[in-house]
Amino acid sequence: VARAVIDPVTRIEGHLRVEVEVESGVVTDAWVSGTLYRGMETILEGRAPADAFYVSQRICGVCPISHGHASTMASEAALGIQIPDGARLVRNIIEGAETLHSHILWFYTLTALDYVDVVSALSANIADTYALAEKAGTSTADFGQVQKRIKTFVEGGQLSIFTNGYWGHSAMKLPAELNLIAVAHYLEALEMQAEAAQIIALMGGKFPHFMTSLPGGTAWMPTEEKLGGILFRWKRVRDWIANTFIPDTLAIAPFYIEAATYGKGCGNFLSWGCFDDASFDPKKRALPRGMIVGGKLEVLAPDVAQVKEYVEHAWYDSPTALNPAQGKTHAKFTTYDTNDKYSWVKAPRLNELPMEVGPLSRMLVAYLDGVPQVKELIDTTLAALGVAGKPEILVSLLGRIAARNLETLYVADEMGKWIMELVAAIKGGEAKFFTESTATDGDGAGLWEAPRGALGHFISVKGGKIANYQAVTPSTWDLSPRDAAGVRGPMEEALIGCPIADVEKPLEALRIVHSFDP
Amino acid sequence: MAQETREGIYDLLAARGVSRRDFLKYCGSVAAMLGLSEMAAPAIAAAVEGGAKLQPAVWLDLGLCTGCTESTAQAGNPNVADIVLDLLSINYMETIMAAAGNQAEEAKAKTIEEGGYILIVEGTVMTGEAGNTLRIAGKTGMEVLKEAASKAAAIVAVGSCAVDGGWVRANPNPAGGKGVKDVAAELGFDKVPIINLPTCPVNPEWIVAVVIDVLMLGALENLAVLNLDELGRPKLIFGQTIHDNCPRRGHFENGEFVKAFGTVEEVKQFCLYEVGCKGPQTFTNCPKVRWNRKASWCVESGSPCIGCGNLNWVDNDAPFLKRMPNVGGVRPETIGTVLGGAAAAGLLVHGVASFSSGRAKGAPVETSKAYDKKKGGDK
Repeated sequence: VARAVIDPVTRIEGHLRVEVEVESGVVTDAWVSGTLYRGMETILEGRAPADAFYVSQRICGVCPISHGHASTMASEAALGIQIPDGARLVRNIIEGAETLHSHILWFYTLTALDYVDVVSALSANIADTYALAEKAGTSTADFGQVQKRIKTFVEGGQLSIFTNGYWGHSAMKLPAELNLIAVAHYLEALEMQAEAAQIIALMGGKFPHFMTSLPGGTAWMPTEEKLGGILFRWKRVRDWIANTFIPDTLAIAPFYIEAATYGKGCGNFLSWGCFDDASFDPKKRALPRGMIVGGKLEVLAPDVAQVKEYVEHAWYDSPTALNPAQGKTHAKFTTYDTNDKYSWVKAPRLNELPMEVGPLSRMLVAYLDGVPQVKELIDTTLAALGVAGKPEILVSLLGRIAARNLETLYVADEMGKWIMELVAAIKGGEAKFFTESTATDGDGAGLWEAPRGALGHFISVKGGKIANYQAVTPSTWDLSPRDAAGVRGPMEEALIGCPIADVEKPLEALRIVHSFDP
Repeated sequence: MAQETREGIYDLLAARGVSRRDFLKYCGSVAAMLGLSEMAAPAIAAAVEGGAKLQPAVWLDLGLCTGCTESTAQAGNPNVADIVLDLLSINYMETIMAAAGNQAEEAKAKTIEEGGYILIVEGTVMTGEAGNTLRIAGKTGMEVLKEAASKAAAIVAVGSCAVDGGWVRANPNPAGGKGVKDVAAELGFDKVPIINLPTCPVNPEWIVAVVIDVLMLGALENLAVLNLDELGRPKLIFGQTIHDNCPRRGHFENGEFVKAFGTVEEVKQFCLYEVGCKGPQTFTNCPKVRWNRKASWCVESGSPCIGCGNLNWVDNDAPFLKRMPNVGGVRPETIGTVLGGAAAAGLLVHGVASFSSGRAKGAPVETSKAYDKKKGGDK
């Protein structure tokens, strides 16, 4: 039995350590440790609810929009504020733009380097690369120029961010030509994620950390100039997703098809739901609320009152098994010990079960709920990969990746509708964007989705000030350590059964970790 | 092309397929950054010298949200690919580097051993629980910082967290957050120059400006090039308030304010002072440089500035939607009429004392400027 440690886990948001036990080339046990504590919830106590909108975004610089929205929704629930429909559309568009930004950045910048061998791209034949791109139905680029740029770079002897990468690792399976296509699109993706982020900046002032979705609605008022900028950028990003991102996914997947056989995880999935329609009913969101338990493909209704956070294996001395609405966070470091306390992440459980959150959870719930566009996207993809009618195959490493990429296209298409709805509302002259409130007391929760999964902010307001604040983030769910009963968290469970060719370079384990977009 | 034959940074870029035209575009963006006319681009280009190889850099993630890395990925010209492939050799940067775990740590150790690198620090120095509120590769974040900082040619603290602890150090500072400069003496790297680039997150154009200063203008050999203020911030970026350069300033002078969100006054782009704008006390050039490749900036999209570039910004600037405290009894509805510009001028330096002391406890009022003394317009 060997132990492999990845510390730091790179290409993620924040700080993470992963330790796995490997027996005969397969992972048999795993410990996931969050290694940073900053104390956001404590800092927010005593401040104005609207201040939490700004400050709580700083939990995550990759998904600040979602934190801002969850915080604002918690305040609105606590203070009884109903936002106008114009604000709903503005928030959906901003949230959608973050989703596109985040998923593009995740696939190309964060996870692709686990599958794409940059150095191998140097030996690609340029004519064959164009032929392969055409066959795969993905967009072409100046492949010769890209190869030349990489060649100059590698020959310069300074590999910058590519230093010590897993080039030539036995788990790298792509032909040189596909590697070159992926590298060319890696560079394009850097432009596309920025363009998606510009949509947020137009409406929210800047990204990351936007400024406008205050409790009550939005401070941004649409202007023709900004609407034009939004529509133009949305169109370009949406088309790139359809013509490059999705075909790339389908071209790469067959080389890693064995990844459909492991990385399954705990089999419980939670989605609080995201993107409201005019009814503000969470079950009618574009990505609806729901949960799946024990791998049984049916959608149940999650009850937030049944969420508890355990701290037996986390460095806190505050009480365990509290519902986040009454949650407490008091840090107390002991030592790193996988048999005792080993993480700054608490262990949230719903109905006493660990829950996987993220695009796979959302897309499974939407699929089983019969959302037509999602059903069509998933069924078409399963057919293209030769596994028609088998959605259960999505519960795997490969499925977790496919779900995120397909969700990108679905959200992009929905965004187009929200933009046109907003334009129509403004044309009609009826659009309202803000509701004033003088309420000063109440408790509320904002249950929403970040690109990487279910997100809840919980606020208690007394006399216009925050009396208690708690956030349960997607990473809290997915990176959870063991709970009081010793049950592993979702990522820990997903690592079990992962093949490892080289314990010194556990690239395959890194793939599982990255599939959660931590 | 062998490295030894490269004459300067332009040759270096040319060898990497960057055209003369693109190179001048870089120089133009630097000129704009520094508040100069784009006409200054050729002069900057002419100042180019050195640059036989890519400048090595280590980017350290401390107690962070990754927002400053995200923000850097939004840089326009040069973009992030230009920066990591053509300008710097960033041998360690957790968020985007290919290697992980031991392979990543090796890359960092080798760079530190060779020396001469720029250390870019993102995130708060975590001192709580004996430094264990941040652990990387089995060490505390403070130990990791100490190792990397002591042999750096210069340190660039990016974002308010690295500058002074940012939001993490806000009262009651439960995790012991501090800025890089705050621990320099304790950790033994107080001889290494520190360049501070506040705001939350950092504006990537400022990082680009500093990088260009280092690569083109030889700032590592001659720190005066950076023209830093007493807080280690480049004066050309952090020398004027947002209020000084705000496109809505005219409405402030005229006493025309947004009094509530979602109203016609916002459509008219009136001044946001009355809904809490901290522009008068915040020293950054946001209105000129803007954000996300000049797509917009906070005030342009209807939000009051929250002063994220100020020291201890959460404690000093919240509640964000309230009018600034301690401004000598100024009521915005009277600005531009009775009190006119003199009171407005008093606001201009409100933030100076907050900056220096790290706490907003009121500020002395500057003598009024001539251009502020005009009579206000109609409402």
